[in-house]
Amino acid sequence: MSIPKTPSWQRRDAGLTARIILSFSILALLYIGFLSALTYVGLDFVSITVIAGIMILAQWYFSDKIVLWSSGAKKVTREQFPELHDIIERVVARNNLPKPKIAVINTNMPNAFATGKGPRSSIVVVTTGLMDLLDTEELEGVLSHELTHIRNRDVLILTLASLFSTVAWYLMQFGFYGGMGYGYGYGYRDRNNSGAGAMIIVIVVAMLTWVVSFLIIRAISRYREFAADRGSAQMTGKPVKLANALMKISGNMRQIPTKDLRQVEGLNAFFIIPALSGSTIGNLFSTHPPVEKRVQKLMEMEASMG
Amino acid sequence: MSFFRKLRKSINNNKPRTDSDAIFSLSSAYITLETKLGLKSTGRCALSLKSADGMHFTEMKDGIQRFLNISKSDTELKNRMVVDSYGYLWVVLEGKSMADILAGISAIGDTVQERGFSKQLLVAIFEFKIEKHSNEVTQYLIYNYKFNKFYPFVPFGQKTRSTEDEMKIMAAIVDEVPFEKDMILWYPLWDLPI
Repeated sequence: MSIPKTPSWQRRDAGLTARIILSFSILALLYIGFLSALTYVGLDFVSITVIAGIMILAQWYFSDKIVLWSSGAKKVTREQFPELHDIIERVVARNNLPKPKIAVINTNMPNAFATGKGPRSSIVVVTTGLMDLLDTEELEGVLSHELTHIRNRDVLILTLASLFSTVAWYLMQFGFYGGMGYGYGYGYRDRNNSGAGAMIIVIVVAMLTWVVSFLIIRAISRYREFAADRGSAQMTGKPVKLANALMKISGNMRQIPTKDLRQVEGLNAFFIIPALSGSTIGNLFSTHPPVEKRVQKLMEMEASMG
Repeated sequence: MSFFRKLRKSINNNKPRTDSDAIFSLSSAYITLETKLGLKSTGRCALSLKSADGMHFTEMKDGIQRFLNISKSDTELKNRMVVDSYGYLWVVLEGKSMADILAGISAIGDTVQERGFSKQLLVAIFEFKIEKHSNEVTQYLIYNYKFNKFYPFVPFGQKTRSTEDEMKIMAAIVDEVPFEKDMILWYPLWDLPI
């Protein structure tokens, strides 16, 4: 189950994220089913591994097409969106990067993501909502964030990381069918209690590996987001613009009060200690770090630039 | 000290700091603001407290006025008192040296607290100016007595604020002064009478 996309930071755009996740989940289920079937008909371990490897590579190779298809993004020319092309050209020229293809999704949801196999064949996708919401410099910050994902080869990194969990899942399947006595199994082993016990251990270990690797992938993903923020700030030299964009996109801008202190001072609400934002468990599973953390890191960069 | 202030302090695990300590941390931070952002102090600042009825409050007010009159001779601090539409008393000071301003503000704050009106204390506010596109823009640093922290306030147009400039201020001095990092608590003060 590769994660061949590096979506933008925000969690509000559930629709787009859901569509892409659904597409890849269906793919993942398809090939898990296919591999299970292969195991069932009695193919040996080596050939199944080879087939699985080819399938994962294929999914990685076509990841950009799948993402474009499932998100409804359309490639756009310079004539259609001159400003967008201008901003990206400025950033890539300054930082000696190849210019990616550019696609636009026609939706009010502010979002952006990058996908592709490597820096030369990548595509940056933005929504029309993002372009409406942000000013030029903020948009430059967001696009630089996506360009950093491309430069850092985050798609490849996450695909490789998920390979681990795929292998664990596969081992679990293999152990399961082996233990049930189907197909190839471990023919030389006696079907006694100790053999069944060993199989259970294999299944448990495989499951644990899968769960742990899932969490590790999420942690890597969050780390890559911080890295992309950092890269963006270095490319543009204006961390504050990206921070501003992040707050706008996440809707955090509304949290900065406009009500006068003298008006709220008498209210009890003023003294309520703000609840902890988001649960720790939630953070563990999310692919993106909380916006406040990202803004804070960007502000630390701004401060150190002095 | 109120229960919530105690609670906040224990949660934040801050070293106990007096309001004066916090305010005097500006004596170096204002230089940082100038070198990093080009923000210059206008020499104007104010302390705001909720007015109360009764003899004790009037006495305190007179005490402050006496103190200001005495210190006028050796600090060149101009002063005035204004009551705004919310019923808050503003003691506005204007001087050339940051040291005098900070000493003046913290002395008034101490007087208010000594007379038992610490609950009435709202903020101390410091005015800065910056050249932007050949326009002078006013920006503020607010010290909140309830939270014992500073936060920025940059009004921009009609009751809107420039978050970006505020974040820049935070980035510049967040390590130098006790700073409120939670933006939810950055309450503005519109139509300042200073």
